[in-house]
Amino acid sequence: MTDQLKPVLEVKNVSKFFGGVEALKQGSLKLFPGEVLAIVGANGAGKSTLIKIIAGVLNPDQGFVKIRGKNIGQDDHNVSFIRQQGVEVVYQDLAIVPNMSAPYNLFLGRIPRKFGIFVDEKKMLEKTKEVLSELNIETVQNLIRPISEMSGGQQQSIAIGRAIAWGKDIVILDEPTAALGPNETLEVERIIREIRKRGTAIILISHNLDQVFRVSDRLVVVHKGVTSREFLRSEVTLEELVKSITTG
Amino acid sequence: MSNTLNQTNSKTESVQKTLLTRLGLPALESSEGRTWTSRLRDNVPFIAITLIILMFWIISGERFMSLRNWTFIAQQTPVLLLLAFAQLLVVTTGSIDISVGSNLGFSAYMSALGMIWFGTMGFMVGIVAAILVGIFNGIIFSFFKISSFVTTLAMLIIVRAVLVIVSDGRSIYVTDQPMSNSNITSIEAEWLLELGQFPNILYFCIAVTILLWVVYEKTVFGQQLKALGGNEKVLHLAGISVNWFKIQVFAVAGFMVGLASFINLARSGAATVQAGQMQELDSIAAVALGGTVLTGGYGSVLKTVVGALTLTIVANGLTIAGVPPSWSRIARGVLLIAAIAISLNRKQIDVVK
Repeated sequence: MTDQLKPVLEVKNVSKFFGGVEALKQGSLKLFPGEVLAIVGANGAGKSTLIKIIAGVLNPDQGFVKIRGKNIGQDDHNVSFIRQQGVEVVYQDLAIVPNMSAPYNLFLGRIPRKFGIFVDEKKMLEKTKEVLSELNIETVQNLIRPISEMSGGQQQSIAIGRAIAWGKDIVILDEPTAALGPNETLEVERIIREIRKRGTAIILISHNLDQVFRVSDRLVVVHKGVTSREFLRSEVTLEELVKSITTG
Repeated sequence: MSNTLNQTNSKTESVQKTLLTRLGLPALESSEGRTWTSRLRDNVPFIAITLIILMFWIISGERFMSLRNWTFIAQQTPVLLLLAFAQLLVVTTGSIDISVGSNLGFSAYMSALGMIWFGTMGFMVGIVAAILVGIFNGIIFSFFKISSFVTTLAMLIIVRAVLVIVSDGRSIYVTDQPMSNSNITSIEAEWLLELGQFPNILYFCIAVTILLWVVYEKTVFGQQLKALGGNEKVLHLAGISVNWFKIQVFAVAGFMVGLASFINLARSGAATVQAGQMQELDSIAAVALGGTVLTGGYGSVLKTVVGALTLTIVANGLTIAGVPPSWSRIARGVLLIAAIAISLNRKQIDVVK
């Protein structure tokens, strides 16, 4: 139980300048295991900057990021180190390599090798089937053809599955359904619930407030570069949320 | 408010999809219902080469379809094929290397020089030189963010100029016996000349083809090539060092050029200042005729073999049919455009630059 109360991720007062522009003034949040934390805010509010800092793509100018209580130093603040700490990011359009197969996409950057240089295809296929069945994705038929031949929902599910395949316990979803149709969106939301059940901590960035209400446990509002408000989903109405997004 | 957001999220694409399903038609890009056009597109290189062989057979009969002529074709294809392999590696990543012709001339000369300096094993100097040119290409391209076309265009000029400086315009000849004439520079290497003859040259070529096929289809390096052509940003975000990988790609392409230059030296029996001129275009043509899209992400070693063969056969067939060289070149240019036009899936291309 005490484990449940310790945040797996803590961001405190981070800020980021681009030239003279302050993209993020003061970003703070805590993320706990097994919860979906939604980050909402208007365009340009600083959501993306905040996420990129957490993912290690950007270095914060001030403030700190702690993962499982461990402070990430300036020198370690890069994508590969943060990934090693168990953080996986699924970007909206950039999540997959369209011309490669589903297994390759699942193993992106971590292809299992035989004799140091060869692809261990058997291992890739087995593990892919394992991950797909764990996520209850049964509709994927062909694991050899390019992933672009699958539906958008399946493609995004594979991208999210990538996080699970590697035992990541912090998953950041950046507008995961922005490019998807209604049915595909529901499929992705089902996957989100599926991985939440496993105790994975999830950050969801979404413009779709219906979706935010459907899947999140807590919400953080970013307004003009500041993480201004925090709500429990059960304690907030759509009107209140919209108001805080627009006026802080 | 959020409802409207939801609706805008649904893409027209899925609307099309449901429409097609309602009409009982297979979706355009589904795995089960791959359309016949996409299957045809996949097999264009094989269909083209068959038609071309049939055509020349009908036109020139025995003169084209003789064992002697096919031996000639088997001897003529390897240099182009190895250059096309170098090109294939680079094109798969979505880049292009137009310095391969200059690199071929330069590294063939360095091989010859190396053999003068160090004896038989000195040919390795040429291979190393070719790899170094590749590494330079890779470094300039990836670190200075200059497009591969411009980078390798500059290298095409520079490397050819270096060749002129190093050689002082003089050729080095490969001979099978000691030369008494001191006016010409020569190396005695009977084995090299033998390698340049049929069937040795063919065996060598087949060995390299198998090796490259394994690298291209079965290794992590090969998979990464295609992935880089597919979505560079994702690779970067997945923590793969894209710059370092690009340098590796150009280095391996350089190695292939090195092999091509070695075979060129063996076949022509001389390292000259002109060697490899215009061959960069032939290598690109061979890759394109092999159905590899120049936008990257896809490619095939086998089809590149077919592409190189097609190009050689067309040149050979036109010569036998008595077509003047200039008209032959025009025919090859037209063939190149036709091949690319058929192999491209224009629906997937947003912008052409």
